Amino acid sequence: MVFNSLTFIAFFAIVLAIHSLPLAWKIRKINLLIASYLFYSAWNPPFVILLWISTVVDWYAAQGLVNAQRPAARRAWMLLSVVANLGMLGYFKYGGFLLSNFVALLASMGVTYHAPAPDIVLPVGISFYTFATMSYTLDVYLRRALPARNFLDYALFVTFFPHLVAGPIMRPTELVPQFEQPRRANRQQLFFGFALMTIGMFNKVVLADGFLARAAEKVFDSNRIPGALDAWMGTLAFSGQIFCDFAGYSTIAIGVAMCLGFAMPDNFRFPYAAIGFSDFWRRWHITLSSWLRDYLYIPLGGNRHGPRRTYAALMGTMLLGGLWHGASWTFVAWGGLHGIYLSVERWLRKRFAGFRPNAWTLLAFGMITYALVNVTWVFFRAKTFSRAWTMLRGMVGANEKAVPLLGTESLVMVAAIITGLVITHWLMRDRTLESVLARAPAAALSCTWAVMAFAVIATQGNGNAFIYFQF
Amino acid sequence: MHSSISSSESASADLSVGRSASAEARIALRPGLRRTAADRPGQAQPVPERDIPDRRWGAIMLAALVLTLLMLGTWEWHWRAFGVEPSIANSDGLWATQRRRIDNGEGDGPTVLIGSSRMLFDLQLPVWQKLSGTRPIQLALEGTSPMFALEDLADDPNFRNGRLLVGVAPDIFFSGFGYRADVLKYFHKQSPSQRVGQWLSMHFVEPFLAFDDPDYALPTVLERQDWWPVRPGMHPRKDVRKLMVVVDEDRASHIWDKLEKDADYRALAQGIWTQHFAMRPGDSPGALQKGADEQIVRAAKAVAKLRKRNVEVIFVRTPSAEKYLTFEDKAFPRAKTWDVLLAKTGAPGVHFQDHPELQGFWLPEWSHLAAGDAVRFTEALYAIVARDTERERASRVAKAPGR
Repeated sequence: MVFNSLTFIAFFAIVLAIHSLPLAWKIRKINLLIASYLFYSAWNPPFVILLWISTVVDWYAAQGLVNAQRPAARRAWMLLSVVANLGMLGYFKYGGFLLSNFVALLASMGVTYHAPAPDIVLPVGISFYTFATMSYTLDVYLRRALPARNFLDYALFVTFFPHLVAGPIMRPTELVPQFEQPRRANRQQLFFGFALMTIGMFNKVVLADGFLARAAEKVFDSNRIPGALDAWMGTLAFSGQIFCDFAGYSTIAIGVAMCLGFAMPDNFRFPYAAIGFSDFWRRWHITLSSWLRDYLYIPLGGNRHGPRRTYAALMGTMLLGGLWHGASWTFVAWGGLHGIYLSVERWLRKRFAGFRPNAWTLLAFGMITYALVNVTWVFFRAKTFSRAWTMLRGMVGANEKAVPLLGTESLVMVAAIITGLVITHWLMRDRTLESVLARAPAAALSCTWAVMAFAVIATQGNGNAFIYFQF
Repeated sequence: MHSSISSSESASADLSVGRSASAEARIALRPGLRRTAADRPGQAQPVPERDIPDRRWGAIMLAALVLTLLMLGTWEWHWRAFGVEPSIANSDGLWATQRRRIDNGEGDGPTVLIGSSRMLFDLQLPVWQKLSGTRPIQLALEGTSPMFALEDLADDPNFRNGRLLVGVAPDIFFSGFGYRADVLKYFHKQSPSQRVGQWLSMHFVEPFLAFDDPDYALPTVLERQDWWPVRPGMHPRKDVRKLMVVVDEDRASHIWDKLEKDADYRALAQGIWTQHFAMRPGDSPGALQKGADEQIVRAAKAVAKLRKRNVEVIFVRTPSAEKYLTFEDKAFPRAKTWDVLLAKTGAPGVHFQDHPELQGFWLPEWSHLAAGDAVRFTEALYAIVARDTERERASRVAKAPGR
């Protein structure tokens, strides 16, 4: 079920009530586990089996890793986990993609092959929970962590519903220890958790779905050709939509976990105030970028084997990171562009190591970063390369037969929201939300909270799925 | 390049590695910031720490709750003053509950209605039930060609031995327009969570809140304000406004009485139809006819499938009036569309212009019947369908072998 639904409100109220009962900690954990399976099966009950497979395989793989004496045996247990998880991911997420590319390859060689339609349904959140369970065995393999002491804590780490389908991608060391001691939110945590949930809902329901998605759809999903204004406004709208959608989800997830007495990590740090792309990736989808860094970039050699290997590792990581987002070459292009950006930035940092920019230069760099990030969003959002090129040509004013696509109302609302969003990110760049809330007048907090809650209800979201569910 | 410091910037650049926990500890953190996984490369991530701002959150939340209720109360009052009453939402979930009836034991012998808004508003379920003894399953969708539902039902073996009334609004039917065509995808993929959500909404939200209507969603309300200047090069098109009210959980509906009582609102609705009458550059008569022919071929295939399962398909050309009728006659001439449809499908049809008892009604915005007239229309239509059906049966019996 999605957070922005009546079903979730009812579900969460029941879970919260049961979790508050004076029951033994083990019983309360079992309740949370059952609730998490219910949460997941509310999409498609049979897919719970995949979740169980992922859970059990990694549990036994980690046990095997601990008991194995020889390095080859350890490696075999690790590979079992990786192959099982990536195998599931590969089949369900990339099966159709691989088949269509195979057919295209044969066609390029003059062989006509009509493949049967694979008709594979993507289990929601599979990319997230396979990464979470893999981090469990990989941390044990890399001797960074010990396996969980009991299966219940481990199963709950994999399945815990706030992070299950769209992150933040939790590491076992972040969550399993929290299940070892009884936890229940105090009043402050409970109320602040509700506040975070409202902020997240406002981002998702009002800003992302209510206002920005409409403009992005009008431009990206149209067959007509956009000029510079429409291409840029459509892309800016999508940049705001995807941030508000995903950061909104993460904020709700953090709030939900807090209401239950658990802590989850930050997933976003005001990324549109990033100065440079390495800074952007330390602010955008932090739990994914750090996962890719720890389990892909570092094993590929990282920066320890000379510049050439470093650049290759960077590009490889970002290309695969792009493919993780979706089974389409447009996502690979998106990741590839980020890889190029990171590589160029790395080279520039070395070439101009003594350069000390002033505040205005930094601001200019930040604006350039945001503009170039928007270029990558074109590939992320466009359904085809053809549409992406049309958009990019539009953004540089090179579309000859352009027609206006967005009305005045869309242009004004997108401009207002994106300007507000970017200014907020810059104001919050070196702050946390909590540090600001700690100093704001109480009346302002109540009013802001009320306006957000009113806007969420008055926008009447229709339970649109979060964008990242499809990944 | 040096950049200003944040908690995350202070650690590894460009995914670099090798910084140890002790190295991390040496990095100064600005007040008010906390470390993230980005600051701890290549190591096990610790239990996250989340600080709670030291405020009286209980009092803040209570005040926020009171303010929210005040704002919602004002919002609700505003829309009720506009004439809106709480009613069941004509949602995808509601449609799915009715469509599911066919697969859950009611598929053998029912009367099913498909079509666009005219079939939805004009055919009154309680009247039909009173006359026939059975209540039809209402699957018509506003702004949507019935072709999507027709083909879906044709492919569903659970639907058999029944009667299917297909509403024909020429501009929608013969163009294949599908404002809500995605509802079929929704129905076939509806999750348990969505089904629960539909039930909760229908029982705990929709009966109580007038503003819970897509027309009065905050972004829609803002978009539709008159203060926005028309952008040069764009047509000042207005979206179709709220026209109907759902009065029962089985999608029994009728026209919204504001269209009958409020001349300004009626004029707005008529103005919106008028803007649709101006043909777009691509809509040449030839292109429209080609599209209509394609729809007729699709309909013929679907009707043939349904006939094999003993489903009687009846096309119904529901009334339209004044400028709307003029537009339809011009864009989709009866001889080239309706008559061809009946000929190619071999299905019977009821055209309002062929029956005096289906004429003379008030259509406030030229497309849908006033609520009272919808009752009279349903009575008259039922009588025609019953008579024709009986005549058809008698004809079949007469032609049957052995007679």
